[in-house]
Amino acid sequence: MLEVRHLSKTYADGTKALKDVSFSVPDGEFLVVIGLSGSGKSTMLRCINRLIDPTEGEILWDGVDLAQLKGEDLRKARRKIGMIFQHFNLVKRSSVLKNVLAGRLGYTPSWNSLIGRFSAEDKIKAFEAIKRLGIEDQIYKRASELSGGQQQRVGVARALMQDPEMILADEPVASLDPVLAHSIMQYLELLNQEDKITMVCSLHYLDLVQRYATRVIGLKDGVLVYEGSKADIRAMTDEQFKDIYGQDAERVGGGLEGDLGVKVGGAA
Amino acid sequence: MTDDKLQLGHIPEDAREPSLVPAPIAALASLIIPGLGQALARSARRGLILFFSFITVVGLTMWRFGIAAPRDTGWWAIFKKGLYLDPFLIVVTILLFILYIWIAIDAYSLAKVRTKTPLGVFIALMVMFFALGWQIAQIDLVGFVSNADDALPALGRVGWPWSKAIDYELTEIRADAEIEIPCSDAPPPENTLSGDEPIIISTPTCGNLRDQDGTDNPGTELHLEGYNFSPGIEVDIMWEDPIGDEFRQRQGGEYVIVIPDENGYFEIDIEMPYALLPPSAREPTYIWEVFGHQIEEVGAAKLSHDFKLIVEKMIETIFMGMMATFFGILFALPVSFLAARNLMSISPLTLAIYYLVRFILNIIRSIEPIIWAVIFIIVVGLGPFAGVLALVLHSIAALGKLYSEAIESIDPGPIEAVQATGANWIQTVMYAVVPQIIPPFVSFTIYRWDINVRMSTIIGMVGGGGVGFLLIQYIRVLDYRSAGMCVWFIAITVAILDYVSAEIRARFV
Repeated sequence: MLEVRHLSKTYADGTKALKDVSFSVPDGEFLVVIGLSGSGKSTMLRCINRLIDPTEGEILWDGVDLAQLKGEDLRKARRKIGMIFQHFNLVKRSSVLKNVLAGRLGYTPSWNSLIGRFSAEDKIKAFEAIKRLGIEDQIYKRASELSGGQQQRVGVARALMQDPEMILADEPVASLDPVLAHSIMQYLELLNQEDKITMVCSLHYLDLVQRYATRVIGLKDGVLVYEGSKADIRAMTDEQFKDIYGQDAERVGGGLEGDLGVKVGGAA
Repeated sequence: MTDDKLQLGHIPEDAREPSLVPAPIAALASLIIPGLGQALARSARRGLILFFSFITVVGLTMWRFGIAAPRDTGWWAIFKKGLYLDPFLIVVTILLFILYIWIAIDAYSLAKVRTKTPLGVFIALMVMFFALGWQIAQIDLVGFVSNADDALPALGRVGWPWSKAIDYELTEIRADAEIEIPCSDAPPPENTLSGDEPIIISTPTCGNLRDQDGTDNPGTELHLEGYNFSPGIEVDIMWEDPIGDEFRQRQGGEYVIVIPDENGYFEIDIEMPYALLPPSAREPTYIWEVFGHQIEEVGAAKLSHDFKLIVEKMIETIFMGMMATFFGILFALPVSFLAARNLMSISPLTLAIYYLVRFILNIIRSIEPIIWAVIFIIVVGLGPFAGVLALVLHSIAALGKLYSEAIESIDPGPIEAVQATGANWIQTVMYAVVPQIIPPFVSFTIYRWDINVRMSTIIGMVGGGGVGFLLIQYIRVLDYRSAGMCVWFIAITVAILDYVSAEIRARFV
């Protein structure tokens, strides 16, 4: 259970990115955050795993306030929270395997990781994660040699290495084309349903939101303006969506849904 | 409409607004002050450019006239003398006049047709600058060709210097005969042939020296026969006077050189030389020696002293470059972090340090290593150490800047991602920062090594050790073969280094 209470963030230059945002995410939920660029989605996700320090508020996760954690405790909390990024954030010159293994750093003693040594279990785990994401052919290639969709799979595999209880996905498909977007989202759905990993995911496309979300929250100028269940969002019209979300909301293209090559999890 | 706007250098506003004055007035204005007509035709910028260009050209031309006629006073006298002495100035003057007229024509047509391009007048300007540049840079193609004959022998030696790379052990063969001056009652006996020793037999064994002009009183003819010399190798015929000075025999202005036949035998007639003895040394008779002198190469060929010295200095050069690069990296690494804006913009204090470090690096970098070498020679004296210090300093500045720019350009994404996995600070640096900066660092470092080796050859010229020191010495004593060897070694080393560094870079980057 993740509970965000009265979360606010003001940047050093005075920008108020988040204003008193409160919501809760039960375990196993697939929460989608919608909102315009600059509405505070990324800031909110980064506040949860403290890549950004919130100015005010509490982030309770299983009763622990993440906002108050420091040093070792913070790192221990972080390693249970995976993160996936819009621009993948891979080390482009390192191999796929090394990028995936980096997900295990939180569990690896410093001196071992300094000389690049990971335990055999970690390596097996990395192979399994890579295989699960279907990129085993690319394992020794440099990350930069992979296509966008493959790079994001590496990103997902890296998050998986953390044995996460929650994954934060910051616009995971915004840099990908529609087909790949569905493919990545289906992996996230699979992890959500099979591994019972709580998902907090920001998205741009209305039909992806309708297709994958079990709950939706909407942010506008740092303020929480919408909260709805799966049923609510399905009943929502494009006009309503745009009203909350902003005029640049768009559909991926409904025709693709249902006839995708990658079919995983319970399709709606 | 688009056609108007696409024209070169044309300001769109010009096309819309008509000229302030009629075309002839604009032309006249430009004749009074070049560029004024254009300004009146609402092309102020073009007018300004033409005005200042024209003033510059006139100034440069006056300067050239002043140089051509340094002793004249009064501008008309200087002008006439300049034209008379330097035909090139005639060309420049004509061009200047054409330009002056052209600016007026340009003003006229600009005032008339608002869309005229300034291309023509700017081409005239360019031609003018080119002509002046040709004169100022003293380009002399005739000299380039006419001096080629004199330069060819030297260039040939530089181009293929390897005869100087091989050396032989030398032995000196010398045989002499005593000559009494003037003849007394008992001249020295003739040498007699005995065994295999080289020997010179002179007949007669006494005589008189030649007068200074040699016409009234020619010297005594001597018939010299040499035995047992080395066949086929030049023998110098020389003299040794009573006080031990040796000098070569001349005949008709040329040194006398004979080549023995296959038995080592030669014979030659010489006229006794002119020589002046100080009165204090006058004695009734003197014994002089005439001798044959031969230098023979014995034993196997071996590398010459110069060759070995150059190789030695080349090695010194390469290691100078290496040590300079090594210490350069050592100091540049920490400095580069201080000079990286993204790391130093945490607080005003760090930002101040950033600006200070950048400022110092820029100053050090803008002074050439060769000047640093001169400075360090004052401190540590001549030799490679001064050169290394100069290169280290310059390397720190250059690498510090390059490294810090590499640090500034890293992608923050992976840092964020690795932090999010629960990695600590050192793990984040190792897994997100280092992999990103290693390739540029390696690349810049190899590049710098390359530069340092090349620079260390130059630094030697001011006394900073290495092969450059040798090279400049050989050039000064006109030993073009040895200089040529230096050049060859430098070229080969740089080529190899270039190849090696390209290979390493391809592996890492």
